[in-house]
Amino acid sequence: MKRSRRVVLTMMGSAAAGAVSLGFVPYGDCGAGRIAVRSQDGRITCRATYGGFGGTLHHFHGHGHGHGHGHGGG
Amino acid sequence: MQRIACSERDDWRETAEACGFDFHTIDGERYWDERAYYAFTLDEIEQKIEAPTGEIDAMCLELVGRAIRDEDYLKRLKIPETFWSLIAESWERDERSLYGRLDLSFDGNGPAKLLEYNADTPTSIFESAVFQWTWLEQAMERRIIPKAADQYNSIHERLIATWNELGRGRHLHLTGTTGSEEDLGTLAYLEDTAIQAGLTTTIIDIEDIGWRDEGGFVDLTGRDIELVFKLYPYEWMFRDAFGVRLKDAPTRWIEPPWKAVLSNKGILPLLWEMFPGHPNLLPAYFEDDPRARELGVSYVRKPLYSREGANVELVSKGVAFAEQQGPYGAEGFVRQALAPLRSFSQQFAIVGSWLVDHTPCGVSIREDASPITGNNSRFLPHAIL
Repeated sequence: MKRSRRVVLTMMGSAAAGAVSLGFVPYGDCGAGRIAVRSQDGRITCRATYGGFGGTLHHFHGHGHGHGHGHGGG
Repeated sequence: MQRIACSERDDWRETAEACGFDFHTIDGERYWDERAYYAFTLDEIEQKIEAPTGEIDAMCLELVGRAIRDEDYLKRLKIPETFWSLIAESWERDERSLYGRLDLSFDGNGPAKLLEYNADTPTSIFESAVFQWTWLEQAMERRIIPKAADQYNSIHERLIATWNELGRGRHLHLTGTTGSEEDLGTLAYLEDTAIQAGLTTTIIDIEDIGWRDEGGFVDLTGRDIELVFKLYPYEWMFRDAFGVRLKDAPTRWIEPPWKAVLSNKGILPLLWEMFPGHPNLLPAYFEDDPRARELGVSYVRKPLYSREGANVELVSKGVAFAEQQGPYGAEGFVRQALAPLRSFSQQFAIVGSWLVDHTPCGVSIREDASPITGNNSRFLPHAIL
């Protein structure tokens, strides 16, 4: 029926998710949940607020990560 | 439909790990299990699974169309009013779906019956699309299964084709709970298919999404999130602090917000109301509907929102004989007629029927000693003989 198909993966198994976290550190003066970014002219500005998604996951599953403890897939 | 015991490839773990399938074993127990496979006839696949899957999906789309026009549906589904316009606008803009999975009770004899629709955040896509196909090819080659075997599976190529139409040349963010090996594996696989379709990509944890002061979602580098695949359910997004921002952002979400209607188990009674007696539906009612009594003393009780079988309870002759604990149920429950999964060698098997861009294109089988399919239910491959 579909024997001619060819399944090719280009990057699974490599560092596909290597960019998950870039390690930004909140800048103290930005306030809770806000993160500083350096603009092109070198100034540090409080650009965005982070952490506004994910709270319900912890509400239902606590803070444990890993299989069966808290994930959004089903 | 048969369950056929067979020998496993002695190198399957290495093969799995080489292609990034790291969650083949969960908590020390097999998740991927190839000590047996499920065999179907071509007629079973085409007439009893593929065709009904397309029909059920069409009924679901008709239901969404009605729900958008009649707020009573959204009230019954307990979707917060704040998000009705977000859902309606995504439907009216005809925002396309990437994929979904129907869970069916099917025993090879009568018609397949819809148990639920994983419309929003289905997982097990990698093992369905890729690893069971690898198994088929190697199992034929090593004479574990007949050389003329086949598989109902065009998921991978349809994902690439759909990404191509959704966003070729664009940048795609993929987000979810990256601390979960299974969810990260799912994101990595979908990322791979998107890259093959010509998109550039960034994976980002759901908690690392930011809100720019001028308006709009951004990643950790401050880059605007314009097109994003999410493996995080809408009902959680709606409760999160950023939920209220969803309608103010130009971000295009995949799955689109209208899928929030279909990922709710309240669609089971609504479909039964719209299409009573349909051979692929089971009688179902909201628990507070007096008609629920028509089911008698044997039924399945499911929360409107739940994942991986949590808070599902099977009741026979008034007595609960199987239940799974969990944190869900605050929004209410539905009751569905009891359609016990067929037991093969003391294992209960559920058929997951995949759709990509609304085209039925593959199946996956999960089995468990419990009649409730849960997070740790094993995945077995299938073949057409």
